[in-house]
Amino acid sequence: MKKSLATLVVVFVFVVTLVFLMWHGLPARENTAKMAVPPSRIQRIVSLSPNLTEILFALGLGDRVAAVSSNCDWPAEAKTKPKVGTFWQPNTETIIAAKPDLVVCESFDQQRMVARTLRRTGLNTLTLRVESIGELFSAITEIGQATGCSPAAERLAANIKSQLDRIRTTTSLSRKVKVLWVMQPEPLRVAGVNTFVNEIIELAGGQNAIAPTINQYPSVGTEEIISCGAEVVIQSAMGTENIHKQQIAAEQFWSRFANLPAVKNKRIYVIDADTVLRLGPRLPQGLQTTAQCLHPELFTQPKPRQGTEQTDD
Amino acid sequence: MTDLLTPKRLTMRIILSLAVLAAVMLVCSLVGTQKVSLKAVFAGPGDEPGQNTDYEILVRVRLPRVILAALVGAALASCGVVLQAILRNPLADPYILGVSSGAGLGATIALLSGITWSFWGGSPIAFFAFAGAIATVWLVWCIGYFTGKLQVTNLLLAGVVVNAFFTAVIMFLMSIAKSEELRSTVLWLMGNIAEKETNVLMASAICILTGIVLLFSICYRLNILTLGEEEAKALGVDTTKTRVVAFGFAAFVTAIAVSLSGLIGFVGLIIPHGVRLVSGPDHRQLMPLSAVIGATFLVIADTIARIIIAPAQLPVGVITAMVGGPFFLILLAKHTRKVGWLK
Amino acid sequence: MNAVIEVENLSFGYTPQRTILRDLSFRIPRGGFLAVAGPNGAGKTTLLNLLCGLLRPKSGSIKIDAAPVESYSSRKLAQKVAVVRQEFVPVFGFTVAEIVSMARMPYLGLFGFESETDKEFVNEALEETDTAQFASRPLYQLSGGERQRVFIARALAQNTAILLLDEPTSLLDLKYQVGIYDLLKTAQLKKGKTILAVTHDINLAAQYCNEILLLDTDGSYHIGKTKDVLSPEQIEKVFSVRVFAGSLGQEKFFIPLGKFAKDSYLTANEPDSSEQKKS
Repeated sequence: MKKSLATLVVVFVFVVTLVFLMWHGLPARENTAKMAVPPSRIQRIVSLSPNLTEILFALGLGDRVAAVSSNCDWPAEAKTKPKVGTFWQPNTETIIAAKPDLVVCESFDQQRMVARTLRRTGLNTLTLRVESIGELFSAITEIGQATGCSPAAERLAANIKSQLDRIRTTTSLSRKVKVLWVMQPEPLRVAGVNTFVNEIIELAGGQNAIAPTINQYPSVGTEEIISCGAEVVIQSAMGTENIHKQQIAAEQFWSRFANLPAVKNKRIYVIDADTVLRLGPRLPQGLQTTAQCLHPELFTQPKPRQGTEQTDD
Repeated sequence: MTDLLTPKRLTMRIILSLAVLAAVMLVCSLVGTQKVSLKAVFAGPGDEPGQNTDYEILVRVRLPRVILAALVGAALASCGVVLQAILRNPLADPYILGVSSGAGLGATIALLSGITWSFWGGSPIAFFAFAGAIATVWLVWCIGYFTGKLQVTNLLLAGVVVNAFFTAVIMFLMSIAKSEELRSTVLWLMGNIAEKETNVLMASAICILTGIVLLFSICYRLNILTLGEEEAKALGVDTTKTRVVAFGFAAFVTAIAVSLSGLIGFVGLIIPHGVRLVSGPDHRQLMPLSAVIGATFLVIADTIARIIIAPAQLPVGVITAMVGGPFFLILLAKHTRKVGWLK
Repeated sequence: MNAVIEVENLSFGYTPQRTILRDLSFRIPRGGFLAVAGPNGAGKTTLLNLLCGLLRPKSGSIKIDAAPVESYSSRKLAQKVAVVRQEFVPVFGFTVAEIVSMARMPYLGLFGFESETDKEFVNEALEETDTAQFASRPLYQLSGGERQRVFIARALAQNTAILLLDEPTSLLDLKYQVGIYDLLKTAQLKKGKTILAVTHDINLAAQYCNEILLLDTDGSYHIGKTKDVLSPEQIEKVFSVRVFAGSLGQEKFFIPLGKFAKDSYLTANEPDSSEQKKS
C-alpha cells in the first residue's frame, strides 16, 4: 500500500504544479494591447488585410502605412509598400522587424493568433471583424479612433453610407431580381443568405436564388441550380486579368442550364471581385456594378463587360 | 564476451545527442526570414516593450517555436518506439489506436462550434483535441478488452475501426462547416508548429518529459515483450499490465503533443526505424535516443518549413513527409542486412 | 522425498468435450531429470504450459516447492522456473548476448540495467553452451541449431532451480544433441537443477533421464524409471509403431520399424523382436 500512496502523492503534486502554471498564464491573455499608443504617436502602421489597407489610404493615412500583406493591391501606392507575408500567413518576424506602432488585422483565426503573438512582444494591435456592411462601418470608426482621425473616419463612413443609400433607393422600387452569385464555378460554390454578398444583392435590388443553408458559401447540386429560377447569374472573377475570357468561359459553362431565365436571357455577368468582395471604401463601386447587372434599365451606363469602373466616391 | 548496455554508456550517448540537439536548436533559432544578430539579442529587451526587435523576434517568435518543435518531436518519436514495441508492428506510429482521429474530432468540434472560451490560457482547440484523443484511446481499449482481452490483434482492429469511423465524422462536420472554420480545421489537421505562451510551453514540457521518463522506466520490459507473449510471461513480465501502462503513458504524451501542434505525421514512424538501424533494438537506448533525434529532426523540419517559401509557410507535416520518406528508404536499403524485423 | 514439482490429479482440456490430461499425478524430486514423451497430441506441451503457469488446470493441483503455481507472482515464478520452447517468435535484431541477458529480467531493478552478477551469469551460460563466439551477432544470423543453444543459454543464465524444456534438441545435429543433454545432465548433477524435458527422442531420454513420463493420447500415462517404462510393448502401444529393441551393455535402444525396414536390423543379437520383414 505504501507504493500506491507514494504514487498518489506524486500525481497530486504534479497536477498542482500544472494547474499553477496554467493559472499563472492567465494575465497574459488580454484582448487589448498591453501598451496602448496614443493616436498622435502612431507613425508606422502595418495592415494585414487588403480591405483594411484600403480604409487606411482612404482616411489619408497612406504615408503612415509602413507595410502591408502581399495581396494588398489598391491603391497603386499600396503595392509599393514592403510586404509582411500573405493574408492567410502573415509573417510575424517581418512584422516585428518593421517596428510598427499599430498593427491592424482581421479577426479570423490565423490573423488573430498572429495578433496575440505580436501583443506579447509589446506591439499595439487592433483586431477587427469585417464580415458585414455594418461591421465595415464599425471598423472604419475604430480605425479612426485608434489613429486619431475620427473626423475623417466619420466623413468616410457617411460618404459610403450615402452612396449605398442612393443605390438602394434607386433599386428599391423595382421588382426584386433573383440572383445566383457564384463564388467559384468548379466545384460550384455560391454565396448563401448569411453573407455580406447577400447584403449587396439585396441593396442592389435582388434576391438570392438559393434558400438559406447551413454553410455561408455552400456547394450546390445541379438539381438545386436547375430549379432555382435565377434570372441573373453573377460570377466574381478570379483575379483581374482576362475578365473577358472568363466571361466567355462562364457563358459556355452556364449554357448547359438552358432552362434558367438567366441563361435564356443571356444575363450572365463576370465582374471584378475586388470592389465587390472586399468590404472596404470601394464597396459603393461594387454595389453600383452589381445593381447595373440586376437592373440595367435603372442605370444609364451600359452593362459592364470588364472590370473596374472609374467612379470615385 | 558480452557487450551489454551499461548506464554509463547510455548516459554518454544521451548527453552527446542532447548536445547536438542544443546546437541545432540554437542554429535554427537564428535562422528565419529576418536576419537576427546574436549580439543585438544579448542587449536585452530594451526599455520600451518591442524596442529591441532582434530580441523580440528571437525570444518571442523563434525560441517558442523551436522549443515546441523539439518537445513535439521528442514526444512523437519516443511514443512511436513504444507503440512499435508493444504492438510488435513496424508500421505502428503514435497515432494508431485512436489518438489521431480522436484529437482531430475534438479539434474539429471545437473549431466549428466557435468556442472561444479559453481553458486556463491555453486554447480551447488544444483542450478539446487532448480530451478527444484520450477519450478515443479509452474507447479503443474498451473495445479491445471486451472483444479479446487486450490482445494485440484486437487492439489493432479496434483502432482501425474507430479511426475510420471518427474520420468519417470529421469529414461530415467539415462538409457543413463555414468556410473560414474549414480552413482552420484543415490547417490544424495538417499539423502546425506555432508560437505558444511560455506557461503553456512549460506545462507541456513538464508533461511530455515526465511521460518520457516514465516510459523509459519500462523500456527493459519492452525488450522482453518483443520475445512474444509466452516467453515474456515465462520471464516474469506481466505482459498485459506492461502493455496497458506503456500505452497509457504513450497515449497521454502523444495527446499532449497533438493538442499543441495538430497531426504531424512521419516523425513517430520513421525516427524509431532510423535510430534502430544505428543503435540497435534495445529499447533502453532506442527510446531516449529516438526522443532526442526526433526533437532534432522536427526542429530542422520546422525551420525548413518556415523559410523555404517565405514569406508564406508550409505546414511542417509536408517537410517531415518529403524529407523523412526518401531518407528512410536510403537508410533501409543500405542497412537492410544489419537488422531484421522478422527472421 | 523432497519433491520440487508435485502434480496431483491434474486434469485439463482445451474444450469441455475433449480432455487431454486425465487425473495425472507424479512427483519430480529435487535434482531429478524427467523425460516426457508421447505421440503428438498427447499433451506434452500442454503439460509444460500447465507447469509454468500459462494454463490453469481444470481440476487437480500443481505445486512448485510445496506451493501452488498460482500462488507465485510471475516474477517469483520466473526465478524458480525457466522454460525453453521449440518455437520462438522472431526477435528484433537483438544480439545473442542481449537475448541471453534477458534471462536476468526477474532479478533486475528499476530501470533494468544488469549488475556484475547478472553479467557473470550471462557469460557463464554463454561459455557452457559454446555460444560465446556469437555473442555480438544478431540472433537471426544464426542457424536453427545455434539459436536453440542460445535459448538454452538463456535458460541457464536465468539461474533457476527448475528447467522445463520442450524438445530442446529437435533442430540440432547429432553432436549437439548429445552435447545439449550432456549440458543438462551436468547442470543436474553439478548444480542440482531439476529438469523436465519433453522429447521425441526416447533413446536420448533413456540414456540421460532418471525417469520418464509416457503420455498416451487417451489420457493414460506411465511413469517410472526409464528402464521400467520403456519396453517394446509399451512403446508400440503408445506410439502405434513397431520397434526393434536392442541393448548395448546396460543401455537399451529402440529403433522404429516402418514398412521398408530391412532384415539387417533383425539379424542383430536380440531374441524377441525377430519379426519377418515384409517385402
